[in-house]
Amino acid sequence: MISNKAKKQIDAWVAKYPEGRQSSAVMEALKIVQAENNNQLTHDNIQAVADYLDMPGIAAAEVATFYENYNHQPMGKHVIRFCHNISCMLNGADDLIAHLETKLGVKTGEVSKDGLVSVKKVECLGACVGAPMFQIGDQYYENLTIEKIDEIVDGLK
Amino acid sequence: MVEIEIDGQLVNAEPGEMLIAVTDREGITVPRFCYHKKLSISASCRMCLVDVEGAPKPQPACSTPIADGMKIHTQNERAKASQKAVMEFLLINHPLDCPICDQGGECELQDVAVEYGSDVSRFSEGKRLVAPSDIGPLIQTDMTRCIHCTRCVRFGSEIAGIMEMGGTGRGEDLKIEPFLAEGITSELSGNMIDVCPVGALTSKPFRYELRSWQMNAVESIARHDLTGSNLYAQTYKGKVKRVVSGDNDNINETWISDRDRFSYEGLAHEDRLLYPQIKVEGQWKEVEWSVALDYAVKGLKNNILNSRNAQKLGGLASATATTEELYLMQKMLRELGCENLDYRLNVKNLDKTIHLPSNIKLAKLEQVDYALVVGANLRLEQPMINHRLCKAQLAGAVMNALSVKEFDFNYPVGNTIVSPNQIASTLAGVLKHVLEAKNQEIPEYLSTLTPSSEATDLANALLNSEQAVIILGEHVLNNTQANSIANLITEIAKHSNSKTLNVSATANALGAQRVSFTPNSTGMNVNDMLNAEMSAFLLLDVIPEYDFHHVDSALAALSKEDVFVVSLNSFGNELVSQYADVILPMAAMYETSGTHINIDHKLQSFSAAVSAPGEAKPAWKILKVLADLLELPGFHYESSAQVLSEVAHQSEVDHEYDSSINLDEATPAIETIWMHSPYQTDELLRHASSLQASKIGQMNAASMSQATADVLSLKSGDRYLGVPVDITDTTADQCVFVSSNQATNMGGLS
Repeated sequence: MISNKAKKQIDAWVAKYPEGRQSSAVMEALKIVQAENNNQLTHDNIQAVADYLDMPGIAAAEVATFYENYNHQPMGKHVIRFCHNISCMLNGADDLIAHLETKLGVKTGEVSKDGLVSVKKVECLGACVGAPMFQIGDQYYENLTIEKIDEIVDGLK
Repeated sequence: MVEIEIDGQLVNAEPGEMLIAVTDREGITVPRFCYHKKLSISASCRMCLVDVEGAPKPQPACSTPIADGMKIHTQNERAKASQKAVMEFLLINHPLDCPICDQGGECELQDVAVEYGSDVSRFSEGKRLVAPSDIGPLIQTDMTRCIHCTRCVRFGSEIAGIMEMGGTGRGEDLKIEPFLAEGITSELSGNMIDVCPVGALTSKPFRYELRSWQMNAVESIARHDLTGSNLYAQTYKGKVKRVVSGDNDNINETWISDRDRFSYEGLAHEDRLLYPQIKVEGQWKEVEWSVALDYAVKGLKNNILNSRNAQKLGGLASATATTEELYLMQKMLRELGCENLDYRLNVKNLDKTIHLPSNIKLAKLEQVDYALVVGANLRLEQPMINHRLCKAQLAGAVMNALSVKEFDFNYPVGNTIVSPNQIASTLAGVLKHVLEAKNQEIPEYLSTLTPSSEATDLANALLNSEQAVIILGEHVLNNTQANSIANLITEIAKHSNSKTLNVSATANALGAQRVSFTPNSTGMNVNDMLNAEMSAFLLLDVIPEYDFHHVDSALAALSKEDVFVVSLNSFGNELVSQYADVILPMAAMYETSGTHINIDHKLQSFSAAVSAPGEAKPAWKILKVLADLLELPGFHYESSAQVLSEVAHQSEVDHEYDSSINLDEATPAIETIWMHSPYQTDELLRHASSLQASKIGQMNAASMSQATADVLSLKSGDRYLGVPVDITDTTADQCVFVSSNQATNMGGLS
C-alpha cells in the first residue's frame, strides 16, 4: 500500500519525534502517501498510514478529514488551492475563482477533463501581503490577475 | 486540603482536583455534558462554565483545578448567563425530536434544557442533518442528535482500549463516527449508550419499545462471568425490556460487558419452555405441575429409591445456576444417599483438574505492574477482568500472554506462543529460572530441564516486577497437563511473590465449589457417571451439545432405554427432548432470586426482576417441592434467602487436591481446544439474537498452523469438525484452536 520510497520519507519524520510517539508524524505521513496516490487519500490509504504508525484508523481519519490539504476525492495532477479568505476575497478572489472555473470548465473540487488540474477553495494560507493568491504544489503564486492566472495555468503540464 | 468558597459556602478540597468533582461531592449542581467521572477531561461542551472570582472569563468547572482561597459562583448572573448561552448554542443543531427519541425522559440534554434553555429559539436558519451510519446490531445511531461531547470517543480509547469512534471533519461538518465499515466491535461497546448524554447512541434492540419512564429498574447481578457486574434490569409489565449498568467501584465500576447488557433479549425467545412436560409412551404431553412432579417422583422411586439404589442416580448442573439452586440440589441428592453430582461438565479429565486460588481482588488488578495471562482470550471470556488489566497497562504495566494462539488483546501484549504440550514445560522453565535467581533448591522434576529463552524472559519479567499477577484461563482446562500447569503457577507465584487469578471456570463456578457440588471420594464425577450403569439423572439447566466435553458418551448415557431423566430447563432443546422423561420449565436469569459468587468470593444476591413466563418456576422452588415430594427432611424453605443463610452457616470444605507436577506425560499429537464464542456460554445468551448477530457472536474459525493443516490434510476453505479452517501463523503447531458459535461437534472431540 505504501511504497518503500514513501516509507523512507515517513521514517525520516518519525525519527524527529521521541520513541513511541511515531503517531506524531501522521500529518506528514498522510501528505507523503497522498502525493504518491494522485493527490488523493482513500479509506485504505488512511488505514495504511494508521497501521504503519501503529495508531487507530479513526485517529488518522480525524486528522485527514480535519485539514483541507488532504483530498478525499480524485484530484488532478496539479491542485490549485485558491485562498478565498478575507484578504484575498477583498482583493477579488471570488471573481478570479469564477474565471478559473470557466476557463477549466470545472467547478471547485472537480478535476479538469484532461485530468491535469483541479481547483479547491481553501482558507487563509498566510500570504495576505500578496493577496489574491493560490498555491500549486509547494509553490505560492501571489498578486494574481486574470492574465497571470491564464499564464500559470497554461504552463501546467 | 485547602479551603475554597463556592456560592458563599466554605468547602474543603484537595488542591489540584477539578472543581466539578468538588461541587459533585458537595451536592452543588453544575450542568455538564462532556465531563464523565471515569473518562479524561475534554472541556469541549462548555456547559459547566462557572464564575471564578479574579478570572477574566467564566471557567469550565470540569477543567479548573482547585487552588487555595478560590471563590466560585455557580449560580450568579455571569455563570447563569454563560450556561444559558452555551445551552442555546448546543440546541442550534439539535433536532429536538424528543417525542420519538429513545433517550427522552432520561436525556441529560433534555434535563439541562429544562433548567437552562430558553423557551424560544432565536435560530431560524436550517439545521444540520447527519446521515445515520449502521455501526452494528447493538447500537442505534441518530447522529443528528449528537452534541460532540466525545464521551463515546474517549470511552473507546480509554476504557474499551480500542479507539473506534472519532470526530471527523471540522466545524459544522464535524461528525462522530467509526472509521471501519464493520462498525463497532468492542466487547464493551454498549457502555457508549450509557455515556451518551443525548439520544445519538441508543440501544438498538430497545429502539421504539417504550418510554424510559414507563419502566421499573430492578437491581440485579450479571451471571455470565466471574465478575458479577452490578446492573439494573428495567422492566415493564412483567418483561425485562432493557439492561443498564449499575455502579460498584469494587466490581464493575460503572461499566458492563455487552454480554451482560444484551443477554436479556433471550428471555422472550419463542423456544422458552412454558409448561411442564412428561413423556408418555414416547409422546410429549404438556401437563399440570402436580402431574409432572408426581411423574418425576414416581420415576425416581421406581428406578432408584424403591430398590435402594441411590448410587445409580446422577445429578448434573450448569455452572450458571444460582448458589441456592446448587445447594438445594446437592442437599437433595445427598439426602437421598447419592454422592454422584457435578457441574464440571466441560472438563475432559477430572483426575487432573486445575486447583489454583484467586488471591487478588478485582479492584487491585488495575494496580499490578506485570501480568502473565496463561491460556485465556481474556477480552472475550472475562471482559471486566480484562478491563482492569487494560487500565493497569495504560498506567504502565507490562503484559505477557502464554498461549497456543495469539489473541486480540486491546492493549499491547508480549506473546509467547507454544504448543499445548509445551505450556507446562515453559512454565517449568519459568519456575526453574525464578528458583535459580532466588538461590532456592531446584526440585528433582526440574533438574534436567533447560529453560527456553522465552521462559527465561517471562521469569525475568516476573522477577523485575513488584506486583505481578499470573492468570490461568479456560484454554488450559482440558490440557493433558492441566493440574501440573496450575501447580507450576502456584509454585512460581510463591517464589516470585506474585498473585494468582484462576479464570479457568466461569459463571457461578465458585458458588458450585462453595456448596460442594462435586462428589467426595465415594461418589462419581460427571465423566464416571457417563461411563457407569446409571438408572436415573437429575439435570439442572444442562444442554448436552454445549455443556459436555464428552458429548457422545453423555448422549449415550442419558438416552439409554432404562434411564429415567428429569431435566430442568428454561429453553426447549431437541436433544433434551430425546433423552428426558420429564422436563420441568425453570425461570431464567432475572426471573429468579438467588446468589452469584464472583471471583472476589463476594456473595451477591439478587431478587427476581420479573416472574417467569407461562408456568415456569424458579429452580430453587422446583427443587424444594421435589424434595418435599420425595419426603426428604429439612426442605421447609420459604425464600431463597433462607437457603442462602443455611449456605452461609456451613463451613467451606477444603478439598484435597493433587499438588504433584509431572512433566513427562504423553500428550496427543494434535490437541483440539474447543472454545464456544463468548455469546454461547449459557442458554440465555444462545437465544439473545442481537448478540448472536454481532461480530463477536459470529466468530467461527478453526485456527491452525500450516504444519497442522498438512498433518490433517486440510487447506483453507475446508472444514474441521464442521468449522471453517483458518490457517494462520499465529497458532502454535500440534493444535487446533476452535472459536465457534456452533455446538460442539459430536464425535469430534476425544
